[in-house]
Amino acid sequence: MVALSNDGGSHKVGNSSSLMLDVQDVHKRFGPLEVLRGVNLQVKRGEVLVLIGPSGSGKSTLLRCINHLEKIDAGHIYIDGQLLGYREVNGRLIEEPEARVARVRATIGIVFQRFNLFPHLTALGNVIEAPIHVRGLPRQRAVEEGVRVLEKVGLGEKLNVYPSQLSGGQQQRVAIARALAMQPKLMLFDEPTSALDPELVGEVLEVMRELAGEGMTMVVVSHEMGFAREVADRMALMDGGQILEEGPPLQFFEAAQHERTRTFLSKIL
Amino acid sequence: MDVFLAIRFDGGAVTEFFFNHVILRGVRNTLEVTILAMLLGTVLGIILAVMRVSHSRPLAGFSAFYVWFIRGTPVLIQLLVVYNGLPQMVGSDEFTHFLTPFRSALITFSLNEAAYMAEIVRAGIQAIEPGQMDAAKSLGMTNLQAMRRVILPQALRVVIPPTGNEFIAMLKNTSVAFVIAFVELTTAARLIYAVNFKVMELLVVASIWYLIMTTAFSVLQAEMEARLAIVERERAIPLTSRVLRALGGGRER
Repeated sequence: MVALSNDGGSHKVGNSSSLMLDVQDVHKRFGPLEVLRGVNLQVKRGEVLVLIGPSGSGKSTLLRCINHLEKIDAGHIYIDGQLLGYREVNGRLIEEPEARVARVRATIGIVFQRFNLFPHLTALGNVIEAPIHVRGLPRQRAVEEGVRVLEKVGLGEKLNVYPSQLSGGQQQRVAIARALAMQPKLMLFDEPTSALDPELVGEVLEVMRELAGEGMTMVVVSHEMGFAREVADRMALMDGGQILEEGPPLQFFEAAQHERTRTFLSKIL
Repeated sequence: MDVFLAIRFDGGAVTEFFFNHVILRGVRNTLEVTILAMLLGTVLGIILAVMRVSHSRPLAGFSAFYVWFIRGTPVLIQLLVVYNGLPQMVGSDEFTHFLTPFRSALITFSLNEAAYMAEIVRAGIQAIEPGQMDAAKSLGMTNLQAMRRVILPQALRVVIPPTGNEFIAMLKNTSVAFVIAFVELTTAARLIYAVNFKVMELLVVASIWYLIMTTAFSVLQAEMEARLAIVERERAIPLTSRVLRALGGGRER
């Protein structure tokens, strides 16, 4: 069922209104290499999906397509019912202007494997930058909210410290706080703990666990199976640019249906 | 005994003319044009660099053309074009009088420096990890916002050493402006020795002044780098290291 919204764009409503993320038959190629070959994925509001798979399977690319850092070549992505990156006019897809896309990106938080903190700003500086310049908050309020979210991730003592002076785990927690400061509807995590020393992984997973408990919709690409088992509502295996299997964690760990799933899990468990 | 080679050098003349008012005027003019042209050239260079890396083909194309053209022609010719060539084409007295030697030198050196700064800033922008742009855009910033708030602040730190270089080069390049009757430092020295024939002595005076200016700016540059380093690292850099660094040596600690 398709409905027209006030601004003339169209989006699907009805059964899919509880869907925060709806990826439909998405294709993406880089030159001659097709990295995403018809990906279908749905994530309900408040759900935590953990995406696993071998490297090169397209998991990172998929996340980057979800927040439109990369443009897809075919298919549709709906964020909270709204078509991303394009508007449908008379059955044709027209690219949205950059400013529009930027606004949608502001509602999706992403945490990168290498943190990507802004080195020339303090922890607090990193966190308040977008709320001030993108959300347009007055500085005072942005600082208040920023302090609160940094305290939430356990870094209330490190407000005026520069990223280079923080440990990896602390940097990643600042990155999470920075994303949360924009009050996103959906949080994407691209191997958030893969670049961390083992003893620092726990503090980041703990923050993610809390976030999940608060009802945030999350898509997490990770190899942390313990986290997946405890926190994920659903898991999906991606290989060769496609989702091969999807289901609750128990199914994955005890009764995986696809051959590839079993092979992959046997290698990492 | 006959001396084969007698050195005639009047050290007294050096001290006599060191603070001569014509020399001082030359020093002041050289400094003024250099500082102003570097400021204008840097601002214009940043704009050109952002144009060059933008996705807009016309903007990138224009920027590339500008850089190619300005770097490809001698600044001497550019000076003559601005001071002599343009007034000839425009033909109005007002226009000709507007273009005094100082203004012509300022315009030319600014436009010229912009082309070199554009390349330096562009290299600085491209030296910043793509992850920074990703993070900025993911937070909802537009390309321009990301440039202003995230990329350029980092890029400008990287470009301080080459910019300092450009500054020192321009201090000395201003001597070319003698062709448009601009009284910078070298011209001042030449004006004086044309009358009293103490060629070497006046050239020594000018050289010492150039050395004073270039050294002062080298120290300033090193100081800027050291202060910014405090942000990137934890410890401040000790004074002796700073001074050595300023003079072009010193060990990276």
